Amino acid sequence: MNVFISGGCKNGKSYYAQEVARDMAHENNVPLYYLATMIPVDDEDRARIKRHLKEREGWGFETIEQGQDICQCLEGHTVTGDKVDPEGVFLLDSVTALLMNEMFRMDGSVDLSAPERVAKQLVEFAKKTGNTVFVSDYIYSDAYLYEELTEEYRRGLAHIDRKLAKECQQVVEVAYGFIKEYK
Amino acid sequence: MVLIFGGAYQGKVEFALEKFNLSEKDVFDCTDSGDIDYTCKVINNLDQRILGWVREETEARDEFAKNIEALRDKIIIVNDISQGVVPMEKDLRAWREMVGRAMLYLSKEADQVYRVFCGIGQQIK
Repeated sequence: MNVFISGGCKNGKSYYAQEVARDMAHENNVPLYYLATMIPVDDEDRARIKRHLKEREGWGFETIEQGQDICQCLEGHTVTGDKVDPEGVFLLDSVTALLMNEMFRMDGSVDLSAPERVAKQLVEFAKKTGNTVFVSDYIYSDAYLYEELTEEYRRGLAHIDRKLAKECQQVVEVAYGFIKEYK
Repeated sequence: MVLIFGGAYQGKVEFALEKFNLSEKDVFDCTDSGDIDYTCKVINNLDQRILGWVREETEARDEFAKNIEALRDKIIIVNDISQGVVPMEKDLRAWREMVGRAMLYLSKEADQVYRVFCGIGQQIK
């Protein structure tokens, strides 16, 4: 089953997503993958990754790193060198970081076609795996007038969220540990 | 009156049109100035008109109370702007609060209230 999870920042989305993914892997007796999408650029990012790795210790996750062209990881390897099994359960955390990487390139350029492309790739990823937990961030209820580029990003992420919500069998909002099922 | 709210880009208008079998031509999009066209079935982006009222020092709730009879058969769509960081700018802070007060009034008067999340509408009243 594909699951889409969103909600505000630091609301317990990741923890809930980890539980859902772990239970799904146990039920189906398949490998459990953590699909890390953040490409670290500085020490703050590296510290965050270290903290997340520590938090996931003992959960049984094998880590896959893929910050762009997400479907490619299905033909790749985990960080420990094992071949990825597309039949496994994938926890993709997060859609937000993935779009960031695809839209705002390392060379400083902006790719405005990224949302459409990433939406397609993620829907394809959901169809190919059938057991993915997608985590996104609900960044749509600010009382703020952002500059156009930030609005493009918000609009783009919302586009992806809606496509994924349509594709996934379950859609959940996490609000401070409170779980609301929309589907 | 039907009140529909949700974050930006969540598919609120699409939800309203599909749910109530309407089309784009039934929608009035508010801007931050001018009168609201109460002949249209759907009044969208009400928060934008409220931003204008903040600057004109007009209380949104009073405006709606004055026009409540015209609102009875309408579908009203509002962006939920209540869940972010407190804005640095004074008028945006006032806007956030005025939209909140207006929402409390409208949700009380409404027969149905929906929240749209990632394209999915959920009835909460």
